[in-house]
Amino acid sequence: MKSVLVVDDEAAIRSALKRVLERAGYTVRVAASGAEGLESLEAQVSDIVITDIIMPTMHGVDAIKAIVAKYPAIRIVAISGGGNFANADYQPHAIKTEAYLAAAKLAGAHAVLNKPFRSQDVLQAVEAAISTSE
Amino acid sequence: MKSSLATRIVMVVMAMHAVVLPVLYFGLSVVVSRNQIDVFIQHVRTLSRNLAEELELGDALESRQRVLDMLDLTVLNADGVYAELLDNGQPIFSNLNDRGVSWPGKQDFSFGQRGDHIYFIEIPISRPGHVATLRLGFDENPTSEQIQLAMHQTVLVLAAYLCMAVILAAAWGYHFTRPVVRLQLASRSIAKGDYAHSLRLESGVRELHDLGGDLEAMRKELVGVNEKLRAEMIENERAGERHRNLENRLRHRQRLETVGTLAGGVAHEFNNVLLPIVLYAELALAETPEDSSAHQDLKEVLTSAHRAREVVNKILTFSRDAGAPKLKAIDLEPVVREALRLFSALIPPTVQLRAEMPGPYPLVKADAALTIQVIMNLCTNAYHSLLNAEGIVSVDLKSSVEPASPDGDKPPREFVVLSVTDSGGGMDAATAERIFEPFFTTREVGTGTGLGLSVVHGILESFGATITVDTAVGRGTTFKVAFPVAEALAANGLSSEPVAGVSI
Repeated sequence: MKSVLVVDDEAAIRSALKRVLERAGYTVRVAASGAEGLESLEAQVSDIVITDIIMPTMHGVDAIKAIVAKYPAIRIVAISGGGNFANADYQPHAIKTEAYLAAAKLAGAHAVLNKPFRSQDVLQAVEAAISTSE
Repeated sequence: MKSSLATRIVMVVMAMHAVVLPVLYFGLSVVVSRNQIDVFIQHVRTLSRNLAEELELGDALESRQRVLDMLDLTVLNADGVYAELLDNGQPIFSNLNDRGVSWPGKQDFSFGQRGDHIYFIEIPISRPGHVATLRLGFDENPTSEQIQLAMHQTVLVLAAYLCMAVILAAAWGYHFTRPVVRLQLASRSIAKGDYAHSLRLESGVRELHDLGGDLEAMRKELVGVNEKLRAEMIENERAGERHRNLENRLRHRQRLETVGTLAGGVAHEFNNVLLPIVLYAELALAETPEDSSAHQDLKEVLTSAHRAREVVNKILTFSRDAGAPKLKAIDLEPVVREALRLFSALIPPTVQLRAEMPGPYPLVKADAALTIQVIMNLCTNAYHSLLNAEGIVSVDLKSSVEPASPDGDKPPREFVVLSVTDSGGGMDAATAERIFEPFFTTREVGTGTGLGLSVVHGILESFGATITVDTAVGRGTTFKVAFPVAEALAANGLSSEPVAGVSI
């Protein structure tokens, strides 16, 4: 049974994803931030990490880079609802979700998902991420 | 008291003549009267001498009657008024003597002497047997009258001369002041702001001619300065207009930015709220029997969540921050121009922005709004790499064709290549390799997010375009973006995996 670590600063999203993934048969742990997620992995490595990108304290892309560097075997799914940086001084418009997800991909994410998505979308993304290791 | 130059010249001429003319008059009267008097005296003396000689040499003295005739003749012929011969103490008087005229007792050798207007001459005559004296008196009045007449004529001539002199002086004064008056009129019109009249003087007077030349040079200088000032004023007005336009554009852009930022934030929050709603509703749906009313209710929840998502997308579309890029066949040239227009508003004048776009270009598949973002990011990057914010950022656009691969696997592909070049410090190979990584930045912490080039990379990837960088330390940097031409893309199929690469 594959284990999944869900990293998101929104409690409702964490618990909803936990329920969806557990129902599909995954072992699920949750973390509220990138740092917490890394600590959790320190304690016990997961097969898959699903992480949000825009989070306070540690940026999701940084978290992905750190995980890729330390645990190359872990498959990563990045999820984002878009948004903007307060000091986005170089562009006239808010950064697009695509840009974040592209950044996450460059940092090493194996699959990416736009929020909001359906249960089957996240399950497919996890499957796709796992399949990249096989 | 102010008087005109011509009047002054006339007055000066008259004053000079007031001194000169009396002197001239008196001088002339002395000369004329002296001359007349000399002629008169010469004449009467010669006459008297001739008579005396005739009496001495002839024998007229022997006859009293003949003496008398000769005396009468002399009186008659030479304006005489008195003739007497004193022969041996016996006086013989001419019958034609004026009454009341008598011998004054001595010879009168001066004209006008004694007030009787008679010139008396006494000549002794010696002839054997006679001791005689000839006494003659001549009238001075005709000579005096002649002198007076001559003086009157002189006065007339001098008066005519004075009139001529005054007329000439007035005419010359007028002629002399005419250019000055013209100069005055021209300078008055200059004072009123009309610089068109020439100040050059057509004058024979060297000083006036030179003055006119100098003033004309001054006027030309003034006209030049005036025109320069006017041109500067117009230029200033235009600059102000441009400045205001730019300010308006910037304000408009800032408003859009604010709206975009707000919409992005709202979208993020909404998506985060919607996700658990969708997931929980689906979980609940899976656990309720399909024929239950709860199952139907949960489906409604999902439908509403789907609609909420559409609303978020609409907000994002409104703020040009739409979810998926809208790939359309677009002409890059106006898009690049729009981006440069926005970018030029952000940079200081120390940065030269050059653009070379020898169009037309084939259409490419891209999203215009995102392409603008890409160009802005590349240009901003180029600008940040300039030392002291001084240097050149050049952007050029050209068509290029990638030849078919030798084994014939790939057909030739057409591109439109956008290059952004800066004259900055360039990068070393290690830096260049990492520039597309998210959060990689060479700038100080806090001055940027380090997402600029990774965002560019992400956007271009979604277009199927590729970006490469050509750089070396001290040589500046060139980013090249190859946009596939729309027809070529269509031929290859839009689904082909886009590739982004870095080449050093």
